[in-house]
Amino acid sequence: MDLSFSVILGAWIATGLTLFILSFLYEDNPLFKLAEHLYVGVSLGYTIVKTYDTVVMTLIVRPILDKGEWSLLIPVGIGMLMLTRYVPKAAWLSRYAFAFIVGVGAGLAIPRTISSFILKQIEDTVRPLLGIAPGGGITFDYSLLNPASHLNGIIILIGVVSVLFYFFFSVEHSGPGKTVARAGILFLMISFGAAFGYTVMARMSLLIGRLTDLIEFSDASYGRPTLWLLLLTVATLIVLSRRSRSHPPNQ
Amino acid sequence: MSLAERMLRIDRRIIFLVIGLCTLVPLLFPVGLPIKISSEVRGVYDYIEGLPEGSVFLLSLDFDPASKPELYPQAISILRHAFKKNLRVVAMTLWVSGTGLADQILTQTAKEAGKENGKDYVFLGWSPGGSAVILNMGQDLYNAFPADYGGKATKGLPVLAGVQNLRDVTYAVSLGAGNPGVEAWYVFGKDKYKFELGGGCTGVIAPGLYPLLRSGQINGLIGGLRGAAEYETLIGQKGKAVAGMDAQSATHLAIIVLVAICNMFYFSLRRQQRRQGG
Repeated sequence: MDLSFSVILGAWIATGLTLFILSFLYEDNPLFKLAEHLYVGVSLGYTIVKTYDTVVMTLIVRPILDKGEWSLLIPVGIGMLMLTRYVPKAAWLSRYAFAFIVGVGAGLAIPRTISSFILKQIEDTVRPLLGIAPGGGITFDYSLLNPASHLNGIIILIGVVSVLFYFFFSVEHSGPGKTVARAGILFLMISFGAAFGYTVMARMSLLIGRLTDLIEFSDASYGRPTLWLLLLTVATLIVLSRRSRSHPPNQ
Repeated sequence: MSLAERMLRIDRRIIFLVIGLCTLVPLLFPVGLPIKISSEVRGVYDYIEGLPEGSVFLLSLDFDPASKPELYPQAISILRHAFKKNLRVVAMTLWVSGTGLADQILTQTAKEAGKENGKDYVFLGWSPGGSAVILNMGQDLYNAFPADYGGKATKGLPVLAGVQNLRDVTYAVSLGAGNPGVEAWYVFGKDKYKFELGGGCTGVIAPGLYPLLRSGQINGLIGGLRGAAEYETLIGQKGKAVAGMDAQSATHLAIIVLVAICNMFYFSLRRQQRRQGG
């Protein structure tokens, strides 16, 4: 397999940075700091360049110069008001830009969020607890695996009511109220557990992704960067560890 | 010092090593554990499968390289499926830091499928405004993206023939690693412009999207690497996600065992201390 120089160089950089970042699991060290600072710098630099190219050049400068779309100067002017924050005497002008952004943002987001996350979710929570069979009569679906079953509908209803009651602090949680609040805590704990389980899965997926790349880059076609850079990282950690033992840092 | 005390004070680097080995060994020597397809992943697959040839399929790759291990395999699988079905693919991103990766994914899969840029697919790139871009696209797609990622004018592109705004999109899928992502596409897109929407996401945000799935606000959800593996299995092209499933199962098992052992030692130590105190 013939690989281009840029691909091989990319593999060496990716392998090195992965190993440097993973070296933090042993202890904090300069290799980790180097990779960390590079990550921050490169991401920020990339974002700035992309934003400049897309916003300033493609959406502002070219339409104005090529097509004469002078009306674009109005949003540019409002945006420029933000920069007056750096001039103390003119800083008050930036409030107009902020007011515009907050006003438009709230106006767009509030009705849409209420519709999507409150009304639709209430509609889904308040479902019939029993079904009606086609020929008449009542049916009840017991399946726990079917999210739309009547049994799950009842569980969701109990969960929503008990969690809402748990966060209702105007009434003391005693007697039957205590039982409902306890049920609310139970539902919250199950929800936190599920969320944490998914988080563990996600973090493990990231590790799998990095290790998959390290295995791929251990191939001879890349020049075995995984092997060489692993040796370099381990050797550096040993040297740094010995140095810190012989010259302990000042407290 | 008792065994329980020693185990509870174990150097955390040993645990890192155990987890690392549990991940590495199955990657080197895969077993091929079976993958069961969930109804939420099947929801996205079935909808794409049922689309007629030439339908407009919008894929928003709302992630950056930090979420690549989970969302890259999802994106590759969905694009392979869409190209196989001869859909008109319109790709974009709401994350500026993800533009390069999104372009690479689309170019790679289109090349594999022998598709032509501008005719079979287009990458619109990124436009500023976050969620407001979706509203802008809902009014006029060409206003939000006057040019594609390569700088070619979007108006007149064969792939966008008959498409004026989001109402002309047959199906949209957002692969999101956060905000803006799947939720933004529902709130500012589907809810207002009435197109069908599916989602893909990282494992971290998946539990927060399940309420949208149950209420039918999204018609399917591909969650994390597991979801990607299911989609790869459905399209019959096993890739990086399926390869990672053995490692995922092994690490999960290791974590469950570690949690159980830690609890066992914790309660044993507490009982021991109570006895000594009494």
